[in-house]
Amino acid sequence: MIEVKNLTFSYGKDKQALRGLNFTVEDGEIFGFLGPNGSGKSTTQKILTGILKGYGGMVSLFGKDIRNVHTRDFFQKIGVLFEFPYLYANLSALDNLHYFSSFYPKEQLRDAEEVLDELEFKKDFLRKPVSSYSKGMRQRVSMARALISSPKLLFLDEPTSGLDPTGAVLFRRMIEKERQKGTTVFVTTHNMLDADLLCDRVAFIEGGNIVALDTPRNLKEQNSSRGIVVSYLYQGRREEQTVEAKSLKSGIPFPYDKLISIHSQEPTLEDIFIQYAGRRLS
Amino acid sequence: MRSLSSLFQKDCRMMTSGKFFLIAFASLVLYTLFIHFGYLNFMEDHSDIYNVYLYDPAGTYTEASPLIHSAASSEELDEALATDTGGVGIRIKDGKPNIVLYTGSEKTDRHRADYALSLLYPGSKYKPETVGGYTVEMKQRREITCELLFIEIAAVGFLGIASVLFKEKQMGVIRIHAIMPLKKSLFLCSKVFLFLLTDFIFAALMTLINVGLTEAGGILPAVLIQTGILSLIMALMGFCCTMLLKDFKQFSLAYLVIALFLATPVFLSANTTIKMDWIYYHPFYHIYMGLKNAFFGTPVTNPLYYIGSACAIILLFGAAIAAFYKETGKEG
Repeated sequence: MIEVKNLTFSYGKDKQALRGLNFTVEDGEIFGFLGPNGSGKSTTQKILTGILKGYGGMVSLFGKDIRNVHTRDFFQKIGVLFEFPYLYANLSALDNLHYFSSFYPKEQLRDAEEVLDELEFKKDFLRKPVSSYSKGMRQRVSMARALISSPKLLFLDEPTSGLDPTGAVLFRRMIEKERQKGTTVFVTTHNMLDADLLCDRVAFIEGGNIVALDTPRNLKEQNSSRGIVVSYLYQGRREEQTVEAKSLKSGIPFPYDKLISIHSQEPTLEDIFIQYAGRRLS
Repeated sequence: MRSLSSLFQKDCRMMTSGKFFLIAFASLVLYTLFIHFGYLNFMEDHSDIYNVYLYDPAGTYTEASPLIHSAASSEELDEALATDTGGVGIRIKDGKPNIVLYTGSEKTDRHRADYALSLLYPGSKYKPETVGGYTVEMKQRREITCELLFIEIAAVGFLGIASVLFKEKQMGVIRIHAIMPLKKSLFLCSKVFLFLLTDFIFAALMTLINVGLTEAGGILPAVLIQTGILSLIMALMGFCCTMLLKDFKQFSLAYLVIALFLATPVFLSANTTIKMDWIYYHPFYHIYMGLKNAFFGTPVTNPLYYIGSACAIILLFGAAIAAFYKETGKEG
């Protein structure tokens, strides 16, 4: 679906944003692009969505070099959720969706009210101006705008930003549902929970370079200390020991009266990012 | 066409919610009231032919026009000018005519002096003739309607497009249009078309109401052509400035600069006695004069003017599209 070879981009002489990115995204995959602010995430997404031009290297979407395919047909196949909920504040949710959907062929459009309903949008607000909405409601309308044209490729920039935990769970469920329909999803985020729970593969980007790219599980396994923390009671006292996983093969290798808990020492995606990039995600 | 229609409808809603049409209508009413109850009532009538007084002690100028009043003495000439302050005196000294005026400015002095000399030398190179058949009121109506129309399109229309676009810029929705399946130029075309249409309606109503139905018929096509040129240039300039500047405050400052350096010299040069030799190189001077000539039934026929205008519009259109892409590629 997406193929990127040696992608470079500069905002000026001394502002090299991307320094030769290489990655591919398969059909129906949820691909996460993780990095802190200013790492080149949004620049990459802007190039992929045809907003930024003047880049170096090769970017291919739907099997075609995007330098030649930024036509109406290309934009009909993609859906984009921006980091901020960009909407006409003086129009209602329905008016916004009807307006933006009017640029797509009718046969690929979903019913606006149905999409909003799936996103648990409050019905009372359907015809009220966006200026009266909370941030979460605006984010729902923006998501509906990205989904209403049934895109084959979905770009999501910080999709759960501004949502409460229930909203974030709902959005993750919606994204998973899209993938089940065969939609390819490119998620740009610095929220490692989203990346961990949603993505088939993640790429860590730092300073315009991809510093790691794999499945969240592989990244965690490869970077795990493989230590197991065992909490137990022994002679009336609570104790804790860290042992290697392989040492548990023949049982607990030390005396104890009662086991309290056994925890693997698996790193989080953020821990791994720090290992690769030397700094935190946010 | 469907995309353009959607954009056009949305722009109409944006302009309606921004009270743009209401402001344009209020301007029309205000200008009309000013013309009918202010300008025409208070402007002085300078249409009378000046009286010319001659003091020729030697009786040299025997072939002078009978319209000239003879003065028996130099004192009588001075007395006549003191009474008829708009008159022109000719005092012959050593056989040569000297022009004497009671009051006057540089412009009217020349005008009056030429007229007086034409009466002194009938049949010579000085040959006065009446140009145009307008009544004073009609001339004033055309002049003031032209000036107010120029101000409305250059100022109000320019600010209008900025107010609509800044709203869209602040809401961030311009960026969404960059990923919509539509020709990006349509985003610009829709706005320019709407402002052009508004300006056409405004210009037509201004002309019909203030110049008069019967008189306006003959000049309206030429007025609309000049309105179209000015409207397109101002709308495209407004679009470029809005895309490139950060907020409405910056735009207001830019507007002041534009008003000061673009429009003011044109008005001063065209309507006052201030001389600016370089004004001929000022593009807005030609557009203003194009509109004025259209109002007086002598539209510009020089093809260079239209070629230049078309080139300016094409260049501004290209710049506006480039500014649009720059805005959509910005961070945050």
